[in-house]
Amino acid sequence: VFTPSYHLSRPGRPPWLLVAVLALAMPGLLVTACSRSAAGGGHGTPGAPGTGTAAAAPSPARASRAAARPGPGRRPSSPLALRLLSQAAQAAVATTYQGEEIVTRWTNGSGSVLVSDIWHVSGGQTVTQTLAVGAALSSRPYTSADDDGQQPEGVLGVTVPLVQLLAAHYIVAYAGTGSADSRTAQVVEARRGDGSVAARFWLDDATKLPLEREVFDSGTHVISHDVFIKVRFSAAGPAAVPAQAGSDDDPPGPWTDPLSGARLRALSGQGWLVPAQLPGGLSLFTGAQTRTGTGTVLDLGYSDGLSVVSVFEQRGDLAARLAGWQPAVVAGHLIYVAQPDQRSLTWDSHDMVYTVMADAPAPTVDAVVGALPHDGPPGFWQRMSRGFVRLASWVNPFG
Amino acid sequence: MSHHLGDQLSALVDGELDGAERDRVHAHLARCEPCRAEVADLRELKRRLRTLGTAAPGQAAMTGRLIALTGPGGPMPPRSGRRSRPASGRRAVRALTRPQPGRPGPSRRRRYLMLGTVSLVVGLSTVAFTVGGGGGAAPGPRITPPVEMYSVEHAITTGEVPFDPPATPAAPATTAGAATPAAPATAAARASAASLP
Repeated sequence: VFTPSYHLSRPGRPPWLLVAVLALAMPGLLVTACSRSAAGGGHGTPGAPGTGTAAAAPSPARASRAAARPGPGRRPSSPLALRLLSQAAQAAVATTYQGEEIVTRWTNGSGSVLVSDIWHVSGGQTVTQTLAVGAALSSRPYTSADDDGQQPEGVLGVTVPLVQLLAAHYIVAYAGTGSADSRTAQVVEARRGDGSVAARFWLDDATKLPLEREVFDSGTHVISHDVFIKVRFSAAGPAAVPAQAGSDDDPPGPWTDPLSGARLRALSGQGWLVPAQLPGGLSLFTGAQTRTGTGTVLDLGYSDGLSVVSVFEQRGDLAARLAGWQPAVVAGHLIYVAQPDQRSLTWDSHDMVYTVMADAPAPTVDAVVGALPHDGPPGFWQRMSRGFVRLASWVNPFG
Repeated sequence: MSHHLGDQLSALVDGELDGAERDRVHAHLARCEPCRAEVADLRELKRRLRTLGTAAPGQAAMTGRLIALTGPGGPMPPRSGRRSRPASGRRAVRALTRPQPGRPGPSRRRRYLMLGTVSLVVGLSTVAFTVGGGGGAAPGPRITPPVEMYSVEHAITTGEVPFDPPATPAAPATTAGAATPAAPATAAARASAASLP
């Protein structure tokens, strides 16, 4: 059999040389193409955040001990301010109150506002019913409880664990007295190491209940402003809410109590990703699990005292169509963002679905997303192997 | 051509003539240049044929050409009349020594075999690389993140009210809450938000 290559080869230049060059060059070209696509992709390995695949998750108790120790060379927090914040966290649980909470957040240049009615009985349940802005009562109520004070439940994000983390990551200072909701308030500030204000709290002078909170980004722009207004300290509960609460929905399973550090470490040995730290100075401070119809979900809570990021992990892959989610590129990775608030992000990697919910500045969210695992393009040999397996499956008459 | 010896030359080369015949042929060759040339050609042909079995690599092409001459469908040398004609013998020798394009020899076959093998490997590798792209097999369940359920749990973590996007379709009510014996969390949350100008 003659082939054109023989006739085209020049005298003295054997054709096998051309064949050898082709055989050597083809994989090289493929590798080059593969590596180019990989360069545009991203990580490709289940990595761990800049801090490594940390299986060592500190317990909230350990975090609280660390919170009591200011870093070397750092200005210490004001004991008065720390005490006021601790009292505020306790008051959110121990005091009976009701009022209206207005939460305003700015994300990526757009703002969202949330209005909720809140009723709380001392040491008992908290009933939260969210109202649509400019509309009537709109939503089903949400009920929660925190009898032992260990659940991170509070008002305006002032809870016991978060106050401990706040003291560990920021300089807490007393800023005098002020006014909120027509009531005298004690003002406490959380400042960064450079002296800029990260957050400001107004605590009711009489009960220490948080009445107002402002959170600033590093550029001193307000990114969150929460107020608790129309506050009444009485035992009168909501008339209509208890009849609705929990009446029509049978939960698939409650979340567990906060998991201990040992339990979280054990989970990291069972294939779950449990980093102790995330970018932005976020520390793991709580975790819980629940079972759903599609498997177990692990929730990991990270915070520096102000920003809070929840990372939900579930084994599996994202559905082919995600209603209510839009694809977007965050930190160089193609993920899905829940519309319209863009506060929830999800993607899958290595048979694990990650969903991030964040109350944090956009750069912090980007860094967190970038630090968690993402699937990159497959390597050359992995791709070749997968291709040969597929080819074999196509020609296998018994397959 | 009648004065030439014809078949007797072949018999001479093959050693088939007896003494008298051989002497007569030798006497003719002494005075006939064309017959001497034909004898020389026939001897050369015989020598080459004898060395076919132990052909050196350089002579492999000759073998191939010889096979091509005798094989079916190949270009046969012109034969008009008796095979002992001197012209036909010379043509046969020239045909053997002339390059014969279109007929591969054994070394060429090896090259083509190698070329075909490498082409097959490269082609298969290219196809495998192409079809090996895309996602891998998906052994796990297909999941749509339950935003409301996560939002409530996130609210417990943050100590704030659930802030779940209203555009999320009404998924089956999900849950969360503190699971304490005194007051287990029961209800689902559905938050509303409005965009600011």
